[in-house]
Amino acid sequence: MKYFLLLFLLTACFSWSQLIPQNGTINSKSKFVAFKNARIIVSPSKTIENGTILIEGDKIVEVGMLVFPPDDAVVIDCEGMTIVASFIETISSVGLPKPNGSNHSNRPQLESSKKGAYYWNESIHPETEANLVYQIDAKANEALMKMGFGLAVTHVNDGIAQGSGTLVSLGFENENKQIIQAKSTQFYSFEKGVSQQTYPSSQMGSIALLRQSFYDLKWYIESKSSETNISLDKMHESITLPFVFQTADKWEILRAEKIAKEFHYQFNYLGSGNEYEAINELKNSTNTLILPINFPEPFDVKDPYVSRQIPLSELKHWELAPSNPFILKQNNVPICITSLGQKSADGFWKNVRKSIERGLTEGEALAALTTEPAKMLKIDSDFGTLEKGKKASFSIYSSNPFHGESKLIESWLLGDQEVMLDVAKHNVSGKYNILIDGKKYPIEISGEGDKLSGKIVTISQKLDLTPDTLIQKVFVQLVEDDITLQFNVDDSNWKGSMSLHGKVSSKFGVFEGDGLTPNGKWVQWSAIRNDRSETKKSDSKDSKVDTSFSAKIWFPNMAYGFESKPTKETIVFRNATVWTNEAQGILKDATVIISNGKITFVGTGNFIIPNNAKVIDAKGKYVTSGIIDEHSHIAISKGVNEGGQAISAEVSIGDVVTPDDINIYRQLSGGVTAAQLLHGSANPIGGQSALIKLKWGSSPEEILIPNAPKFIKCALGENVKQSNWGDNNSIRFPQTRMGVEQIFYDGYMRVQAYQNEWAKYTKSGLDSKITPRKDLELEVLSEIFRSERFITCHSYVQSEINMLMHVADSLNFKVNTFTHILEGYKVADKMLAHGVGASTFSDWWAYKFEVNDAIPYNAAIMNEMGLVVAINSDDAEMGRRLNQEAAKGVKYGGMTEEAAWKMVTLNPAKLLHLDDRMGSLKEGKDADIVLWTANPLSIEAKVEMTLVDGVILFDSQRDYLMRSHNQQEKARIISKMLESNEKGEESKPFFKKKTRHFHCDTLGEEGSEEENTH
Amino acid sequence: MTLLEKKGQKKKTLINLATVNYFKALIFIFLIGQISAQESQSILLLNGYLHIGNGEVIESGLVGIKNRKIELVRNSLAYTYNKEEWDTIIDLQGQHIYPAFIAPNSTLGLTEIDAVRATRDFDEVGDYNPHIRSQIAFNVESKVISTVRTNGVLLAQATPRGGDISGTSSIMALDGWNWEDATVLQDDGIHLNWPVSASESGTSDEVSKTNKKENYLKAKRAIYQFFEMSKRYTNASEKDQNDVRLDAMIACFKGEKRVYIHANELQQLQDIIDFSIHFNLPFPVIVGGYDSHLVTKKLKDANIPVMLVRTHSLPQNEEDAVDFPYHLPAMLQEAGVKFCLQNEGAMETMNARNLPFQAGTAMAYGMTEEQAIRSISLSTCEIVGIDKEYGSIEEGKSATLFVSQGNALDMRTNHVNVAIIRGVFMPTSNFQRELYEKYMRKYKK
Repeated sequence: MKYFLLLFLLTACFSWSQLIPQNGTINSKSKFVAFKNARIIVSPSKTIENGTILIEGDKIVEVGMLVFPPDDAVVIDCEGMTIVASFIETISSVGLPKPNGSNHSNRPQLESSKKGAYYWNESIHPETEANLVYQIDAKANEALMKMGFGLAVTHVNDGIAQGSGTLVSLGFENENKQIIQAKSTQFYSFEKGVSQQTYPSSQMGSIALLRQSFYDLKWYIESKSSETNISLDKMHESITLPFVFQTADKWEILRAEKIAKEFHYQFNYLGSGNEYEAINELKNSTNTLILPINFPEPFDVKDPYVSRQIPLSELKHWELAPSNPFILKQNNVPICITSLGQKSADGFWKNVRKSIERGLTEGEALAALTTEPAKMLKIDSDFGTLEKGKKASFSIYSSNPFHGESKLIESWLLGDQEVMLDVAKHNVSGKYNILIDGKKYPIEISGEGDKLSGKIVTISQKLDLTPDTLIQKVFVQLVEDDITLQFNVDDSNWKGSMSLHGKVSSKFGVFEGDGLTPNGKWVQWSAIRNDRSETKKSDSKDSKVDTSFSAKIWFPNMAYGFESKPTKETIVFRNATVWTNEAQGILKDATVIISNGKITFVGTGNFIIPNNAKVIDAKGKYVTSGIIDEHSHIAISKGVNEGGQAISAEVSIGDVVTPDDINIYRQLSGGVTAAQLLHGSANPIGGQSALIKLKWGSSPEEILIPNAPKFIKCALGENVKQSNWGDNNSIRFPQTRMGVEQIFYDGYMRVQAYQNEWAKYTKSGLDSKITPRKDLELEVLSEIFRSERFITCHSYVQSEINMLMHVADSLNFKVNTFTHILEGYKVADKMLAHGVGASTFSDWWAYKFEVNDAIPYNAAIMNEMGLVVAINSDDAEMGRRLNQEAAKGVKYGGMTEEAAWKMVTLNPAKLLHLDDRMGSLKEGKDADIVLWTANPLSIEAKVEMTLVDGVILFDSQRDYLMRSHNQQEKARIISKMLESNEKGEESKPFFKKKTRHFHCDTLGEEGSEEENTH
Repeated sequence: MTLLEKKGQKKKTLINLATVNYFKALIFIFLIGQISAQESQSILLLNGYLHIGNGEVIESGLVGIKNRKIELVRNSLAYTYNKEEWDTIIDLQGQHIYPAFIAPNSTLGLTEIDAVRATRDFDEVGDYNPHIRSQIAFNVESKVISTVRTNGVLLAQATPRGGDISGTSSIMALDGWNWEDATVLQDDGIHLNWPVSASESGTSDEVSKTNKKENYLKAKRAIYQFFEMSKRYTNASEKDQNDVRLDAMIACFKGEKRVYIHANELQQLQDIIDFSIHFNLPFPVIVGGYDSHLVTKKLKDANIPVMLVRTHSLPQNEEDAVDFPYHLPAMLQEAGVKFCLQNEGAMETMNARNLPFQAGTAMAYGMTEEQAIRSISLSTCEIVGIDKEYGSIEEGKSATLFVSQGNALDMRTNHVNVAIIRGVFMPTSNFQRELYEKYMRKYKK
């Protein structure tokens, strides 16, 4: 129906009958226009060097070398010019109002402020339709047109489910004509936008919310719900349109792709420009990637004090970003190019050509601007090429714009000439001999466009009759074919101002006309060019194509990254002191062999050195299993807390792990090989954990431990009741420990009801019945009550610890781990009875009221009582010296060294139910190994080598070499930047970002600079 | 076992420390409690592994304390002492004696619970607050202090925070009936936070970014102006009206107060060196100094010491060596710049008890053990200006020292069995240990 209407609209425009009445008589237009003698780039694969395009109305009716326009056609001579199909902008906000949020208040807004039958969350508004509010914005259209675009999808860029975009032609006539497809694309993002609602406050929250809304849609449609939800109705209406999902980082594409797979949708993506860093994950993708080409400007690096602080990752990105389109194309990813982020047509073309210099072919670049977008938008039958039968939307350039600098001369949209730029047709610069009334002067003209200037040489006689050469400035103006020259003469012929006006025939290098001499006489003049001055470069110059940049990508693409991904090795550690964490205890002069990612031998007996094994003499050194950090918040992007609601079980840290966090490398250097990345403690039931191995240089999927047990974070105490969030945060339930208890009971009741509903549904036969609504939050909560998901609960004082165990006992579930658990020592007996483990800090306290009774002997007491006790970091800095923290168990409470060591290795493995594969040195376990220079608990201990799954990921020797290698790489790129600075190219100043880290109580998507209150 | 010997009227205590098991320390603490009740006694520590604090050691050392002063420092093996002279004699049997460790640039005693505003007494309103004095807010009964002392940290520089000039610090002993008692050096210096030249403060505001360089120059000019004004005020023979802020500045120019300048970046450090020379500051000190290894010669020439950025902190730049902060003290040591360790940062009050282990880490990364000890004892005292009395175990100095069962810089062996502040025995237990014992008793039943 929609398409019929569209078709009708289009035909209506060109059949002289109009929907819009016109005042006065109708302006007639020629039916046929022919563009001849042009280089026509018909499509990415076809160019006609000297051809003609014939258009009739808004359509191309003929294109080729031998086209004979009808007699009544307007014929435009395009000699020397290049015609290219109009580009299609797949993402923009032209002609649309800026999104407006509700007024900001310091008090949290828990519910939607949007009145009406809409979705409960303000960031889900698929009902926003761009076509309803589109108004022609001449300035914005012109800006796009100057870059070569003729069509654009425009949408209101706000929120997670953003609504639909409309496809417009960039003409100026009226909206009715310009809107080509009312609803062309549906837009999504992970950004909450202007919504002031507290939920979601993190990227993982955005992910969960979007998934829930897709489930809601399914249920709403299938169940033919009696409720009305305009948002879901509109979402349903649009769901068959092409998707465009906006991302801000390479990993976000993978995150969104997981959602697409879950719901069998096909997403196209707006990229961010660093996709090349994830090329292994993205290659051969069938989704179209829309690429911005606003490559980063170089930094101003003239001041070495400043330049030395620029992170290597940013330098590398500056160098590699222009290769992004090429690398993706090389790896078979369909790409579109967007003008997003471009300020001017010059800048846009500079970057298009930069992409071409880096290996993207002209055809590929053109395709990314025309045929690929047309295909994605399903308008390729009308747009994208200049083939016969397509719409007449194209741009005419002074030369091939992909090849070198060129000017846009005209833009034709749907058969109408929309822009005619004032462009000089002639290049007049050069040296001439000018003849005025028989007198000859040498003259030189330089510059182009409206910036022409000239010099003239006159010879006068001095008093002593010797000739005196004078160089005078010449004022030069060129308007189309007319040239005006004006200069002063002071010689034997004339004294005063000479004004000449003439016509230009640049082809022959000739000017001629007449002018006024200083004595008021009209004379004839002419000028003949001697030589063309050394003008324009690029057209003739073969621009160098350099495709070697992909070799410069490191994994990850930052300091200490690998130039190629390291692999598993077979290694024999000999003569080492081996802390096994097994019954054997500590072995002297022992051997550990690893092969294929597993430990194959531990002991002092006989062994065979496997083939190709690397043998490391570890005499005087210590070998242990890797440290496991039970409580960490590194390697997480855009929010560790989904604090918008009291229960956020639906969110998962696993959705937002980020493997290119330098802290992974730093922790490897402290012997850490695995960690539980926990949700924060902003609410009683937080989100799901990610159990990772610290695989530096790997992808987000690769660092997640396969088949890891499921965990969720719960929390009690001050953070949950928002005690330290300021006086404005006193609205969200709960605000007391009393309320916290009831959250758990309430959650349980809701789960019961939910499970009953589903049980009833499955029992009564699946057909005829309506499937109940899938609730992601309750799904995860049910797992807890079904003992399929373990709880790690943030806790401080004994009352709350006791409370949760009572809740658990009464609801028949178990708490797996209490984390922080600083007053665990007061209820260790009760904990033992419940069967819960403890993961605590060695000695932290005094940071908030509830740690008043925290004592560093806590771990020792709990250990003494027979609990499984771990020491965790919750802190990126402490994470890399957990061995020191474990050693404090010896100081505070007199633990044995072996028992203390287990607190950071075997015990956390047990708490995480990973002790069948990690936590000790035992044949068959994962080869997560650390080689230490000294007793690992001693203050002198340093890590010499850390292996994860048999791969050496930290090696102190490589680390030492990398320090200078990093500096060399920096120096290399900075010198390139300096070259660019010296050429006067645009640059930006550098400002160092403060390092931010996530802690338990960090809110929002940005890391915190605040003091850590855990 | 412990031996109590009474001679005549005088109660004499003889303690053999080797037999005092740390985990049976109750009795010992009880004893020390008794002893400390007596004022001004004479104490002899025998057969200790003596770390003087100045880099030297006496493997079997003897320390005699009288009138709250160290009266005697000798090699035990080569000195015969007279039993009669000493009220208390403690045979250390090889345990380690250290001078008091000192936590400079710390809010210890000025705050109790970070998250509870009512307990935070270190950040006053205003940009230029040289007149704000930490001394009078120092809480001698701080529970945090009791947990810091038991790891060998017996002195601290109570330091205000915030603003451009945060205020004036004082050097405090971690013992006393009130702040007057506890004061070691009143108003030792002002703390100036040098503006940051290249950091983005977290706003993504384009305007504020582009103006950053200009802002830095402006902020720097403002500091110069304030110091110019202060100097004129100092030199003025007659004042129309007294200015409480400027009064507080006078001592800075007269060499009676140090000027602690907090900064890390190279640009800042260079500018601070120029600034110190420009105003001819008698005692400038850089606090932080992350980039100080790049200006060692200048620092040496200008005689500016550095209180180094927390050893247990993360590198500040992506490509910096992972262990850079661990290694930094050794780099300055090597270059011959005067420096000490400090601990400013998250949870710095409670974390002051980990200062010995930060020195330990610095030792593991290139310093000798005695250099590491010096960096939290004598060097610090020299920098803050109390080295005539504190910082090392030398005759004539205040008897402020402690004994640890083993290496005090290693977590496993730092067990403080004797702590003496200005000749007075300190409890070697604290409420945390008492809670530990209380609950262990509960479970043992």
